[in-house]
Amino acid sequence: MKGKVVKLLMVFIMTFSIFTGFMNKNTYTQVNASASDSYLSNIKKKGTIVMGTAPDYPPYEFTKNEGGQAKILGADIELAKQIAKNMGVKLKIKSMSFDSLLVALQTGKVDMVIAGLTKTPERAKSVDFTIPYYNGGQSLLVNSNDNSIKSYKDLNNQSVGVQTGSTQYNLVKQQVKNASLKGMESVNDLVLALKTNKVKAVAVESATGEAYASNTPGIKAIDAKFNTAKAQNVVAFHKGATSLVNAANKTIKAANASQEFEKKFIPEASKQMGTSAKKQKISVWQQMYNYKDYFIKGTEYTILISIIGTILGLLLGILLALMRLSKNKLFHAIAVAYIEFIRGTPLMVQIMFVYFGLGTIVNVPALTSGIIAVFINSGAYVAEIIRSGIESIDDGQSEAARSLGFSSHQTMQIVVLPQAIKNILPALGNEFVSLIKESSIVSIIGVTDLIYQLRIVQADTYQGVVPIFIVMVIYFILTFGISRLLGLLEGRLKHEE
Amino acid sequence: MKNSDILKVENVKKEFKNNLVLKGIDAEVKPGQVIALIGPSGAGKSTFLRCLNMLGKPTSGAVYFDGQDLMKLKDKQLDSLRTKMGMVFQSFNLFNNMTVLDNVKVAPIKVKKMADAKATEIAHQLLKQVGLDNKATVYPSSLSGGQAQRVAIARALAMHPEVMLFDEPTSALDPEKVGEVLSVMQDLAQQGMTMLVVTHEMDFAKNVANQIWFMDDGQIVEKNEPEAFFNHPKTDRAKDFLSKVI
Repeated sequence: MKGKVVKLLMVFIMTFSIFTGFMNKNTYTQVNASASDSYLSNIKKKGTIVMGTAPDYPPYEFTKNEGGQAKILGADIELAKQIAKNMGVKLKIKSMSFDSLLVALQTGKVDMVIAGLTKTPERAKSVDFTIPYYNGGQSLLVNSNDNSIKSYKDLNNQSVGVQTGSTQYNLVKQQVKNASLKGMESVNDLVLALKTNKVKAVAVESATGEAYASNTPGIKAIDAKFNTAKAQNVVAFHKGATSLVNAANKTIKAANASQEFEKKFIPEASKQMGTSAKKQKISVWQQMYNYKDYFIKGTEYTILISIIGTILGLLLGILLALMRLSKNKLFHAIAVAYIEFIRGTPLMVQIMFVYFGLGTIVNVPALTSGIIAVFINSGAYVAEIIRSGIESIDDGQSEAARSLGFSSHQTMQIVVLPQAIKNILPALGNEFVSLIKESSIVSIIGVTDLIYQLRIVQADTYQGVVPIFIVMVIYFILTFGISRLLGLLEGRLKHEE
Repeated sequence: MKNSDILKVENVKKEFKNNLVLKGIDAEVKPGQVIALIGPSGAGKSTFLRCLNMLGKPTSGAVYFDGQDLMKLKDKQLDSLRTKMGMVFQSFNLFNNMTVLDNVKVAPIKVKKMADAKATEIAHQLLKQVGLDNKATVYPSSLSGGQAQRVAIARALAMHPEVMLFDEPTSALDPEKVGEVLSVMQDLAQQGMTMLVVTHEMDFAKNVANQIWFMDDGQIVEKNEPEAFFNHPKTDRAKDFLSKVI
């Protein structure tokens, strides 16, 4: 489902890009071609290269709690550091969901993508690749006691878990007969699905498979034996960024010559990887407590987004409601169109549109994009709440006010609005509560809210369920607490009558 | 327009969605007159009353008040003219978000920019006049219908209007509460207030009004003194109506 939305969005952005002349028409760029583009010089001017990655893919990239700070580590990060160093610039890492990475690259949100990404002809149409820096194999994760599966051939007619948009997705689709594919965004969720027997096996890249197998009790990794050349992990750059591809290739060639990735980066990353509670010999709850800062930070962001979203949404909603109730036909039409359009499209698409779509024109950071999307969405709903609140007040009230000589403005301000507020407030409270829940969707563009932190803790601790439970409880405390607070406020208003 | 007329309407018509509700009304009101508008339901009595203060704008015609044609005034000028015409509604329409006292004093303060202390004093005085000063601090939801309507009358009087328009002021009341409202209105009439009252209370029309306007089918069919109207109606339609209600 998410994958489809992303594809739709990519189609949209590509169309958009053509209009803005963003796309380079060269479909293939020779590795050794002399670079005449300005991508490299721009990066050097900036002094930083921004790398996009999805840090739930150990040992390539993962996060680790170091001194209270969530740090992104992994073999890919080591490679990125070298590439940046050889270009003479600093490395900045932006994390987001795997599905969003190539879109982010195309829209200039990041300068390069290193994310255990393998080269495929489809991907090569939209971005440029370096030479491979690692040839990984393909593994299947299966339950330890399951000896029925020896290779991909034993998966016919079975359900198989794969990461959406991944190479393994296509391999299983093409080579396993009648497999029912269960696509999910994160490997954690897939492993959880495996352990709860929702899927028979999970197809992953072998280094990742090993990492999960050694840290998750009850599962093992076996060679998938897919009928394919070894997957080639590559670095992706914006289409036409030949100067960057060439520069990165130099670094990769040198690393390949000494097998640095296999012999140094992966083993080092494996050592840094988080380990399961069982291996650390501590209880799961103790382990979760060690990650409390993640949950706290996530809660802060969720609250921040919801509060700013609600306040701005309220202001926008009041404006839209007044426009909709206005006698001016143009204002009315604009408000109606806006409200209908926003209410008729999913928040998720709006968030991606703000981040990626507007991103082609102005550079809006993820958090700001998230807040903007949340408030333009909320504004439409708030407008309808306010309108129906105002319309629920009996016409007799404003007639009486007008008969006393009140202007229409005074009538609204002194008589109608104070009464409408009592109907509006409870509905606004509900809107705020649902905003807290709906804001969880901003994690897809890498805003570090509760859901995002949940992903990190899952990836870090190899605990699938417990972090979900904790986040669920946090959400409930937030929404329940706010409902009760608003209930008290309502009670006081009623008391006044 | 004679100088002595406080209110005069000329050929007023009102159309709702191709339905002609008022079919051309001419009438004038002199200061101190108490006019009872009676007639069968659907005759256009309330619609006519609402045309007088432009709460419902006539489709055509002229309404003169204080020498100005209200049809030609801008919204702002209308707002200030309405302060001179008090209106009392069938369903009271007290402001639910304010206490009884605030209901009465809010318009003088907000519209006439009167000082709070002065407005409060006038409000208490008027509430005493309608016998409800002891309810000054309560909200309208705790009043009976009769009490609410008396407060509504006090609220309208607080603006010192030249004319009072009553739109079926007792129709929504329990029978035993009708008397208290009518007696307030009677007092008002005796003080010389110019009043137009849409009513089904024939006793009130007979005993308090000094002019009856009988309306039927969007027109004023008969204008007469109460005595003459009730004893010797001139028109068949009035006779027919009276035979049904009395």
